[in-house]
Amino acid sequence: MLVGAGAVGARAARQLTDTAGIDRILVVERRRTHAEVVVAAMGSRAEILEWDADSPVPEDVDAVACALPAGCEQPIASRAVEAGVPFASSGDDENDLMGLRSLTEPARRSEVAIVAGCGLAPGLADVLARHAADAFDEVDEIGIARAGTAGDACVATATRALRDRPAEMRDGIYEESRRRGHELVWFPEPIGARECERVATGLHLLSGAVPDAERITVRLARDETGARQRWLRRRDPEGSWGAVRIEVWGRRGAAREPIVYGVIERTAIAAGTVLGVTTAALAGALPGLLAPSAGVFGLGAIAQPRAFLAELSRRGVKAAIFEGVPVV
Amino acid sequence: MRALRRGLIVLGVALIAGGLMKLRGKGGVPPTSGGWRELEGPEFR
Repeated sequence: MLVGAGAVGARAARQLTDTAGIDRILVVERRRTHAEVVVAAMGSRAEILEWDADSPVPEDVDAVACALPAGCEQPIASRAVEAGVPFASSGDDENDLMGLRSLTEPARRSEVAIVAGCGLAPGLADVLARHAADAFDEVDEIGIARAGTAGDACVATATRALRDRPAEMRDGIYEESRRRGHELVWFPEPIGARECERVATGLHLLSGAVPDAERITVRLARDETGARQRWLRRRDPEGSWGAVRIEVWGRRGAAREPIVYGVIERTAIAAGTVLGVTTAALAGALPGLLAPSAGVFGLGAIAQPRAFLAELSRRGVKAAIFEGVPVV
Repeated sequence: MRALRRGLIVLGVALIAGGLMKLRGKGGVPPTSGGWRELEGPEFR
């Protein structure tokens, strides 16, 4: 069952449709005409479902995917937990992520997995951070930066994150900090250098994926939010470009060195692919991608990095490594 | 009085300079050589 068929949800629906072993996709979307367009594009396996979070999850559902604006995820996740059905969502609103984390005990009791933050960052960036961390004996520092937003709801969430107080994780402890202005971050082309600011988004999820990291920071590029940009974004059917840069410093033997990964893709396509693949894995259609667990997790904590990256690569979302002079 | 005025001017200039530096932010260091290579399986390293 896919709740929300906006920029990310529609791409997740496409990925689910393209997955062998997914028999049926129930699309829940309050904009009826929008839902009809998405379902028509997906073929005979997709159908519209009239459902809201006051109702129980239908009996034959194997997994619930949620791609809704901020503030909508927790009630749907609660219904999934009550039904004993795994849940994945692409939202990156820190309040929503906190709401999902509050379902840890119910999820454990129901023996289901709730996977929060299945987008570009949090999401794929966490998987790459964990993949890089696995290469080190000790992890000193993880720095994640994201540029790009998927749709209007995503822009609103990012704007809120940039307005809220920034934070970082130090030795597993969440510490709020003062806003320190922007910092240039070099993403893969065509994004290139963008000014980014520190945010608190997804820190807890990343800390859960790499608990022994001494320091974790997340940065976000400020998108233009004017009417012209909004118009351009809506006019482009593929959506705007987005990128993540994952810089992990650690020790191998006596040497301290960095690993820098990057991803460049249309933001909605990348986030939708990550959500679709995670949901398909939770439904049992892609075995070996996620570690079997019960509780609330970020994607970095539950995904098997190599298998997950291989599946994304097969679907066209490819990561890259920076080779050259380390960026200090 | 004059010393106080001078002191205030110096303080004002320092605040403006500090504000400009804060607004300009902390420029990162550009990668001067190297480039991005696509990760390939099975290791994705």
